[in-house]
Amino acid sequence: MIKQSTIAAGVIVSMLLCGGTGQAAEKSAKESVQKPPAKERVQQGASSASATAAAARAFEKVSKELYPKAKQEGNLIIYSVWDVEHLRVITDAFMKRYPGIKATYWQARNPEIVTRVLTEFQGGQASVDIVLSDNAPPVIRAAGAVMPYETVQKAVLHIHDPTMPVVSLQIQALAYNTKKMKPADLPKTWEDVANPKYKGLVALDDPMRAGPLSSMLAGLRDQWKDETRFNNFVKGLKALNVPVHKSTSAMFRLVISGEYSICMPALLHDVMEEKEKHTPIDYVKTASPVVFPRMAAIYAKAPDVNAAKLFAEWAISTEGQKVIDSVGRESSRNDFKSKTSIEHAFPKGTKPIPVTDKAFLEDPKTWLDSHVKPIFE
Amino acid sequence: MATTSLSSLKLVYRQGTIVPLVTSAVAGGAIITPVVIVLLRSLTTGKLGASVGFTLSNYLRVFGDRDIMPMLTNSVVYAAGAAALGTGIGAVLAWIVARTNTPGKALVELMPLYPILMPPVMKNIAWILLLAPRSGILNNMLQQFFGIQAQVFNAFSMAGMIWVFGLACVPLGYLFLLPVFLSFDPSLEESAYIAGSKPIHTMLHITFPLAVPAFLSAFILNFLRGLRSFETPVLQGTPGNIQVFVSRVYDSMAMEFNSGLATAYSIVLVVLSVITLLIYVRATRFSERYATITGKGYRVKVIDIGAWKYLTFVGVFLYFLAGILVPFAVLIVVSMIPYFDYDTFMQFPSNLVLTNYHTVLHHPSFVTGLYNSIVLSVILALVTVLAGIVMAFTIHRTRAYGTKIFEFIGTLPLAFPPLVLSVGLVIVFLGTPLYNSLWALGIALFVAYFPYAFRNASGSIINIHKELDEAAWVHGAKWRHVFFKITLPILKPSVGGALFYIFIEALRNVDVAVLLTSPGHEYGPVTLFDYFRVGQWAEAAAGGVIYLVILIVAVSVAKFAFKMKFSL
Repeated sequence: MIKQSTIAAGVIVSMLLCGGTGQAAEKSAKESVQKPPAKERVQQGASSASATAAAARAFEKVSKELYPKAKQEGNLIIYSVWDVEHLRVITDAFMKRYPGIKATYWQARNPEIVTRVLTEFQGGQASVDIVLSDNAPPVIRAAGAVMPYETVQKAVLHIHDPTMPVVSLQIQALAYNTKKMKPADLPKTWEDVANPKYKGLVALDDPMRAGPLSSMLAGLRDQWKDETRFNNFVKGLKALNVPVHKSTSAMFRLVISGEYSICMPALLHDVMEEKEKHTPIDYVKTASPVVFPRMAAIYAKAPDVNAAKLFAEWAISTEGQKVIDSVGRESSRNDFKSKTSIEHAFPKGTKPIPVTDKAFLEDPKTWLDSHVKPIFE
Repeated sequence: MATTSLSSLKLVYRQGTIVPLVTSAVAGGAIITPVVIVLLRSLTTGKLGASVGFTLSNYLRVFGDRDIMPMLTNSVVYAAGAAALGTGIGAVLAWIVARTNTPGKALVELMPLYPILMPPVMKNIAWILLLAPRSGILNNMLQQFFGIQAQVFNAFSMAGMIWVFGLACVPLGYLFLLPVFLSFDPSLEESAYIAGSKPIHTMLHITFPLAVPAFLSAFILNFLRGLRSFETPVLQGTPGNIQVFVSRVYDSMAMEFNSGLATAYSIVLVVLSVITLLIYVRATRFSERYATITGKGYRVKVIDIGAWKYLTFVGVFLYFLAGILVPFAVLIVVSMIPYFDYDTFMQFPSNLVLTNYHTVLHHPSFVTGLYNSIVLSVILALVTVLAGIVMAFTIHRTRAYGTKIFEFIGTLPLAFPPLVLSVGLVIVFLGTPLYNSLWALGIALFVAYFPYAFRNASGSIINIHKELDEAAWVHGAKWRHVFFKITLPILKPSVGGALFYIFIEALRNVDVAVLLTSPGHEYGPVTLFDYFRVGQWAEAAAGGVIYLVILIVAVSVAKFAFKMKFSL
């Protein structure tokens, strides 16, 4: 069983710390927490180029060590919430890079992944190597079903977890229908959405269902460290008196169709994909992105441990990130530039809102019952 | 008691009914094992993965939950409304097709059949696009062409939910009632005509009352499906602030990962199911009263309904329109436009794109998954239907003691939401060679669809008068003679319908199959219908159109080239 205190102490959040100017920076600063310790900032700011080179060297070294052992194992089994098309592209690239390892996958939603993994864990089944997902790994870890593994490339990650390599980020954006909203009328921050003037226009994700809005609330509370501000925000959302949705993706479709004007929240990669199709959808760049780690957690009874570690390291490497980016998923590295990277998608100096509250990640229901339910329901 | 059991055993031995008894027990065992496992889990503490001890805390929490009553009320209204609408329309359609001289016979026979092929979730999405208050096609059309500003239609209302799920309930009603109307002893109606009764009066007072067992069977199934259905409440209910009970079950799984609590919540559904079944058993306790197939020879009479026949044609056509034509047309357009909003929809076909079809056809699992699912669904339909008939035969035709218990066992899986049931199944297979194989998936689907086969057979078998097999028993026939020479041939129309229905349902199952599929063993619907689940509606529509075209071609070829009947 993993010691919870070790995990809590080990979760380090390394954010983009370039100083911002103008309105964007001002708004971001409003939403951000206090800055991390100066020592950490200076180290990161000055070492990004050297950190990239060091990470590349570390990856080459660990890759050479793990590959022969992984090849001997011969297999890699992944359970994931990601689209099958994405998994196919990623596993094909991995198998091409490391011949002799056959990668297979099973795709399902988070509750199904957690249920299956924990049932197999209880039954002593050596069934899977990697759980590639967002919400599922922390819950699985809390049950003791994750083998802790710290990536050798941690220096280049936006969010680093010492027990589960973060291979991508889920980035939330404040999306809106461009046919329905004029730029001047848009909310500028997440907090603005709770303004009564948006009543009837907002499609609101159910904050009590442990979905994206719940994650956002956990991130904001953690960042604000201001209970009154947090409570007012939740009260404001409640006062909008709009129906809540249990499916973020269906809600996003309804915003595109014009049923609603503002999507609270949408996922950045969905927005980018729709923008490329010239769908009437855009996002508010001044609302800081909420970032949730997508992890490659190694199962405690993994039959192919070395293959699992190799996959996690490869996925974080520049090479792996290019493949992940090619399917439209956001990079977890702070030195990787793409259309969905925070530096590209948001104004310079934007400070993301990371979701790293252990209590929320490992037991969302209890967290929501204590912090949101008394206000929202 | 002991004497009864002994004489019962002697009879079982004499008639050779040990075979159907053992078959029913095996089928019942397959069903009851995962059910018992999930029930035991409801008596354990902690979440999955944690060490467990026995407790009643899950039940205390369920019965202390003050929010469940309003949710339960919504669930019952929604499920009963949709079941009544769907089964009612299905029954009327079956009567029109089987018993009236409605013009365009070939067309009338086909029109109620094709909507069955459209998966319910496709209907959900199509009807949301049609009936959404602000962006819906119908409200916008009323505004554009008639200047009506009011939002007349609302997909996100109880009425909208009942309408859409009710349409999804029609096929069961139709397939259950059709064999009954096709195998009707006309002497009962003829007596009414001789007494001066008019056709409509005869239909209401003679024909429909005799179809009560089959109607109730279909209604119960649809009602239970409604109680545990999740897609319509999620897609249409939550945006309208309508919460249903089953969302508590799913929240327990999705947020707390507590299958014990989810099962404890499911117990409320089990209790409701048992009450519903008790009502059914009580309503059909004098089953001889409903026996319309007797030892006398006869030919089903087609009733001349006069000028009403044009109205019945219009009725069937309207159902065809609402059941498949309109939603299918919407999906075809949505699959070929860059994105959906009313303006873009109305610009079709000038903005036609085929990228969604390209995406779907290049889906990594499309071909292998479809192949696996077709093979598995064919085998599954055959095995499940046969087992369902054997169990119904065991209950209603053998005199073995205690067989009524199968009435509950056979329907039990319907009371459990699929995700809860599949957890039990995963535990059953865990550590056995069956785990992670297509066999496990097949058995899981058998458990999930057995109630449909069983209730269909049960409703139909009641309509066969016991005098037919009693004559055979008297002449010393063994069970196999009675079953294969009398019961099965008479049940042929309903067998076709049940085979067809279970094949179609299994082919598109996601909820039960998802936990039982495994790396390297793809199952078509799980991946294809995942487009719906992740909200890629355009790709989902394209996938749905391809899927539907394959099925329509298959059914049409089967009907016209191979003269297959599908209950018709």
